[in-house]
Amino acid sequence: MENKRKRQSIFDLIREYVEELKELEEGWPPTEHPSWDPRACSLEPLCNIFVAVKEVIVTADLPYAQPSSIKVEPIDDDRLEITAEMKRKVKFEELGITHYKGEFSTFSCQTHIPVPVDMKNIKTSFKRGVLEIRLPRKSRHEIPIT
Amino acid sequence: MKTARIVERKPVPSEAILVHGMPDVGLVGVISVSHLVTELKLVEMGYVDSEALPPVAVLHEGLPHAPMRIFGNNNLVITISEMAIPANSVQLLMRTLLDWGQSKNPKLTVSISGMPIQNRQDIDKPKVFGVASNDTLLKLLEKKGVEILREGYMVGPQALILRYCAEKNLPAIALLAQSFLNYPDPEAAAAALQEFSNITGIKVDIAKLLEKGEEIRLRARDVMKRTQQEMTKMKKTQEYDLPLYV
Repeated sequence: MENKRKRQSIFDLIREYVEELKELEEGWPPTEHPSWDPRACSLEPLCNIFVAVKEVIVTADLPYAQPSSIKVEPIDDDRLEITAEMKRKVKFEELGITHYKGEFSTFSCQTHIPVPVDMKNIKTSFKRGVLEIRLPRKSRHEIPIT
Repeated sequence: MKTARIVERKPVPSEAILVHGMPDVGLVGVISVSHLVTELKLVEMGYVDSEALPPVAVLHEGLPHAPMRIFGNNNLVITISEMAIPANSVQLLMRTLLDWGQSKNPKLTVSISGMPIQNRQDIDKPKVFGVASNDTLLKLLEKKGVEILREGYMVGPQALILRYCAEKNLPAIALLAQSFLNYPDPEAAAAALQEFSNITGIKVDIAKLLEKGEEIRLRARDVMKRTQQEMTKMKKTQEYDLPLYV
């Protein structure tokens, strides 16, 4: 009885309402989309961006990628396109999925770089199936300390 | 107020080794315990039912299953979540699992997880660090050659499991393998399982896990992506912070 009364208290209702509002806020704007595109036979790789003091480090997880096929191309001043061919085609069925049809042979994604970088001096490496791209940050004005 | 309960569909043995593999850094825990289920042919024994979890059914062979389940045999019980745990539900769910775990009087509770390291690409064999709920177990880890994580922060399900076990005086350890923060890491899972075998004496063949590494990384992408979103909410990067001791 006491539990029932506790659950129905105004404070519990307010707390639940605030939690619901927070959940709505976290899910907004709705940007979710599948990580695969069967028409383009393409998978979107997992990507991460780390902004360091002197450079921006972008990484992408590319399992099954053919190292020689990996391409990193600047699209404009603040966007990079990463593409790679896979060593072999992977079908939905191989991943245990039978209600979709299709196969994937490439990785493809575009990444937004959040700070100004020098796109002409990109360095890349590919180790343990992870692509690492290092972009030097554009030099900023230095304020002399007197 | 949200609640959670454990539903046992088969009798879960007492005094077994209890292993938790929850979605976290590099999905090391999930990949490890999933391999244990396959390799040791563990059977499904129960699941976690809670309105704190999203309204999800995981379909296997056409049949619906709860995303957070319990598997086991006579001397090993594991818990696994096949989907990211909402950050605001971790406390309730881990507390529920631990209260239930306590009723089973486990011989040892083991959490398997990852420890993010920035230059993971350069590491051939990930190192596994250990933490424990009491001094005796710390000494056991040292005796087994496991380096102790002496100072720092732990964030996430395994942090709560360890803290609650210490609070309840339950023998518990956590094995944390160096891993990618946001990419599935089967190699780190294999390293953690090797250490698990070394400590518990339970033999696990990790060859297949390493063989299927790329396939696992491909399959685990979406769970990793959602786990990454929840880790951000949990302030997971606090694990990189330098601790302040008072």
